[in-house]
Amino acid sequence: MSIFTGGASAQILIAGALVSAITALFSARFFIHEKAFFLFNPVRFVIWVFYCLIIFMWELTKANVDVALRAFGFKKINPGIVKIETDLKSEYAQSMLANSITLTPGTITMDIAEAGDKTYYYIHWIDVATSDIKEASDGIKGTMEKWIRRIWE
Amino acid sequence: MIYAIYVLIGISVLFALAGVVGMLRMPDSFCRMQSSTNISTFGVLGVILGGILYVLFVFETPDIAMAVKLAVLGVFYIITNPISGHAIAKAAYRRGLRPEKEMTCDKYGEDLENAD
Repeated sequence: MSIFTGGASAQILIAGALVSAITALFSARFFIHEKAFFLFNPVRFVIWVFYCLIIFMWELTKANVDVALRAFGFKKINPGIVKIETDLKSEYAQSMLANSITLTPGTITMDIAEAGDKTYYYIHWIDVATSDIKEASDGIKGTMEKWIRRIWE
Repeated sequence: MIYAIYVLIGISVLFALAGVVGMLRMPDSFCRMQSSTNISTFGVLGVILGGILYVLFVFETPDIAMAVKLAVLGVFYIITNPISGHAIAKAAYRRGLRPEKEMTCDKYGEDLENAD
């Protein structure tokens, strides 16, 4: 709230806290199904910051340059929808991996399906190297899955 | 410091240009969305980072409130952006939108047909 008003007086902070509390009260039962205090563990928090600033930024840079080259026509495109698998258990980890994949240019998560103890993502990929589940999983997830597992599990 | 800011904003403008060119050149809507992700990641992050450095080091009195505001803007942008991207792509596919040129492989379509 103080973002919009530009100040941090007691009045603004109390109003902001009230509005956030009411919103959280109504939306919590839709979004939170598991223990929600993972990130209060300092080790996990440090790994999380490291993942966001180093690992994810590196993946983002590689993918950005790649898609920019394709946009200017230096590389051909080869679009398609592939299916990849992950064995992350926690819902937070699954959604974080899905969002990381969508945020990387060149891949968009279209749907999530659960079958047995595996979770499958359907991903629109701008350069389909392989349609095999295992190889596509390695190509798209890269190092991200390993670090997300360290944060959440 | 001002040259570092020039470089950051220059990179960001370059990627935004790549995103726009891609949106015009790509053959179908899904590929256009892929290209627009270029703008919404590096195109925005570079400008925000450059802005933070500008208000901290180039202003005569560093404006910390503005820097925090910009950082929070960047974080919210990164959190909310993939959700809308996912929702648009899924809705477009479910609505029946298909590229004119056949896709290399379409696992989602196959599995949707098998489920029906």
